[in-house]
Amino acid sequence: MENKRKIQDELFAYIKENTFKETESLTSDTMIFTEGILDSMGFALLLDFLEQNFKITAEDSDLVEENFESIDAITEYITRKNSSLVEK
Amino acid sequence: MDKIPFHKEILKINDIEALVEQIARKIREDVSGKINRFGGVIGLSGGIDSSVSMALAVRALGAEKIFGIMMPEKDSSPDSEQLATVLADKFGVSTTVEVITGALDGYKCYERRDQAVKDIVPEYDPGQHKMKIGIKHEGSGSKLPPLFYLTVVNPDGSEIVKRLPTKQMRTIIAASNFKQRARMSLLYYHAERLHYAVVGTPNKHEVDQGFFVKYGDGGGDIFPIGKLYKTQVYQVADYLGIPKEIRERTPTTDTYSAEQTQEEFFYEFPFEQLDLLWYAYENKYDHGEVGSVIGMSEEEISMVYRNFERRSETTSYLRMPPINDYIFI
Repeated sequence: MENKRKIQDELFAYIKENTFKETESLTSDTMIFTEGILDSMGFALLLDFLEQNFKITAEDSDLVEENFESIDAITEYITRKNSSLVEK
Repeated sequence: MDKIPFHKEILKINDIEALVEQIARKIREDVSGKINRFGGVIGLSGGIDSSVSMALAVRALGAEKIFGIMMPEKDSSPDSEQLATVLADKFGVSTTVEVITGALDGYKCYERRDQAVKDIVPEYDPGQHKMKIGIKHEGSGSKLPPLFYLTVVNPDGSEIVKRLPTKQMRTIIAASNFKQRARMSLLYYHAERLHYAVVGTPNKHEVDQGFFVKYGDGGGDIFPIGKLYKTQVYQVADYLGIPKEIRERTPTTDTYSAEQTQEEFFYEFPFEQLDLLWYAYENKYDHGEVGSVIGMSEEEISMVYRNFERRSETTSYLRMPPINDYIFI
């Protein structure tokens, strides 16, 4: 749980730093692409960030809405991809 | 005013002669009355857009006032120059050929691009392989934005396809954009030498969706087909007698060494469908009405509208002139 929270915090910080939109109302279940928080460059940069920061490799088959639509979804995706990030 | 019901022929031009005459009159007024130039220079690629733009400019100003420039480089298809020559001969337009490979070498266009490709596919050898980049949507119903992929084509025709990290994606695009900017530089050289205007060739989709290089092919002084949908460009082409081999050629980017259609690189829909969808989006037609005509669900049309909106927004910077309202004194 502790680590999931840490991942979420890192994602919040990353998105706030890298969007050009207002993020005051950003929550963990905000639909970040539907709401236009991240655009296509934002998506590509997010994938770079996830791969570098959380030591995962996003396969083409992973690139579906369910894995990236919100901070909650990305957190779940990261913990599935790299189980070492989650407390045993 | 009530909108006419959406239908498949909604973009058909009913009176092409009248439209052509209106465009020609405006070209004359703009070139002579607003820009104060004697004629027009135009880059000829052998594609449908530059061909129709040239034919309209000829209609407006006369062939003797139009100067066509072919600007091939080492990745260009040989068809481009040959078809442009056929077109210019048919319309009696004088041309010159400016090979820009040397200029691009000077900018290190190929070197910068190829290094970025090698970062992703280390075995890439520009002497042996061909390459291209393009966008791919993850599933037709996905709300995720599209991503760029690199394709390296082996000598045997097999392909290596990799998703592009942003650093290499931006480097490849930025390096490739030297091509359009080198061409625009040459067009202005000839325009200034002749005291002519530069006739730009983007169509409505290119302008509105941002499929152009800022200060490259997005430059120019007038855009005669800038408000025409692609299928309308073809209708005008037919009317003006653009050679059949140009009308039947698949629109390509002609930017990368591997062949690549514009649909594959950017648009994601065939032009017949794209035109109708963009028209429907711009004119705010009901999702269900459009879907039933095009053969898509309401949900799909909604997704298409959202993607168009996103594209329009993310490319608005390209259409923006330099911001110059720094009025503080």
